[in-house]
Amino acid sequence: MNKYLKTAHLSALEITNGGIIYLLPDILIKVCTLIPLIFLWRVVMSSGAEVGMSLGQMLTYTYVSALLADMLVVKTTASGWLSDGVLLKLYGRPLPVLGQLAAQTAGGWAPMLLLFSLPMAAAAPLFGVSLIPASLLFFISLPLCVTLGFAVDFLFACLSLKLKNRTWLLGCIRMAITAIFSGTVIPIRLLPFGMDRVMKYQPFASLGGAPLSIFAGVADVGETLALQVIWNLILWPAALLVWKKSQEGMVSYGG
Amino acid sequence: MADRITFKRIIKLLAISAKMDLIWLLRDTRFALAGISADMISNISTVSGVFLIASRFGGIGGMSTDEVLFMMAYSTLITGIFIIFGSGNNIHISRIIGRGQLEHLFIQPLPLGVQLSTNGFTPFTGGSNFIVGIVLMAIAVGRLELQISFLWIVSLMAYLLTTVTIIIARSYLVSSMTFYAPVAAEEISSTAIDGTWLISTFPLSGMPVFIQIPLLTVLPEGLMAWFPALSLLGRPPLGLTGYYPMLYALLISLAASFIFRKGLRYYVQKGSNRYLPYGFRR
Repeated sequence: MNKYLKTAHLSALEITNGGIIYLLPDILIKVCTLIPLIFLWRVVMSSGAEVGMSLGQMLTYTYVSALLADMLVVKTTASGWLSDGVLLKLYGRPLPVLGQLAAQTAGGWAPMLLLFSLPMAAAAPLFGVSLIPASLLFFISLPLCVTLGFAVDFLFACLSLKLKNRTWLLGCIRMAITAIFSGTVIPIRLLPFGMDRVMKYQPFASLGGAPLSIFAGVADVGETLALQVIWNLILWPAALLVWKKSQEGMVSYGG
Repeated sequence: MADRITFKRIIKLLAISAKMDLIWLLRDTRFALAGISADMISNISTVSGVFLIASRFGGIGGMSTDEVLFMMAYSTLITGIFIIFGSGNNIHISRIIGRGQLEHLFIQPLPLGVQLSTNGFTPFTGGSNFIVGIVLMAIAVGRLELQISFLWIVSLMAYLLTTVTIIIARSYLVSSMTFYAPVAAEEISSTAIDGTWLISTFPLSGMPVFIQIPLLTVLPEGLMAWFPALSLLGRPPLGLTGYYPMLYALLISLAASFIFRKGLRYYVQKGSNRYLPYGFRR
């Protein structure tokens, strides 16, 4: 375990090595996205349309989504293991590859959690946002979301091997899918044309949207957790199997 | 010896880029089509989020659903133009600087500016979003029953040019940091362009002025689609003149030009050392 913690620590240091000042643009963009988004929802929700969520729940959902963004839709460095030479680092160390990726990724969350999420969580009352979870089962749903996120990420990473390094292409598709289908930008229950009834059963809905809905108190907790467990049970074996088959297909040179 | 730069020469350079783009499409059609689809899916996903909200709530902050669609069409056109002319990292300039690739340009017998303005031209693989944008624009215009005149089309083109100018100028402005910190700031243009794109799709109508003003000045996301769309609909927001985006574009371009040149001088003196002996970047 100590090795993984060290890996996570190194990953956090890697991000801050250039100096915290170089993280400021990202932090600034996050803040500058979150604040207008809060007011956008205030404007939208003031229309009085009945959507099964109160303004308070909507703001909580949006705010927590921004604070935990990295954890709600996991993205490891695996997609770039050919183009960025990630595989060279991973296979050169005496640790399981997937374990390293998980530790690296989790370590990489730390700087933003400390520099963005923590201060913004403290500032939440200023924006009239409550950060008290509606159900403590959120703390079970979040780890299930994270583990499912790793499984989905590994599947995408294996797909990048099949696509012979088209990481950018895959990144675009992945970003598009997760933006709409995970419910991290727009809660799935707000989707129009009856899409919400179908969309909640697809695997991406068990990523960010699931814990956020539980936190905000707009989910059927039992059903949401059950779907998360089911998708973990389906996608993890699939990810491990595809990963095992994909390793032999890795070819890389240059940078 | 550097070539003499004429308008004809620039067209020829654009044609070279277009030819290479077409060759890639024909040689690797499967992946080229996949790339085109990925571009379209990515953009549709971004703009559809706001449109779905508008559909669900019957508009946003005084803008009707069709007006939001018009704004999303404008945003898609911008994305299309950006991809058509900026597919060679020539707008994501911090990547070229940070990766030590400016040297690749220095050895060409062409001025840097000419290379950067022509080498990202990909009309064949990059034109899909532009076409989608035109279709969305036609639908929105039809639904809004706008009276289209020659002057309106010229205005649309002027706003598109202005928005693209602001995007490029801001990218070059912040990318100047990369001359001094090539590793840390390599992706700063992505932060400036891609990181802010979601905000640029927000209709700011109905929001408090203390949110609107910063998004038209410090962080000009309101100028990416919202302000131009409302201006084209005949009601520039906040009582500002419809020429405000043009003035902003001029000022930020001047600032970017000055600071970028300063950084370039530093880079020419100091150079960059990004590559490890076995090929990967540091």
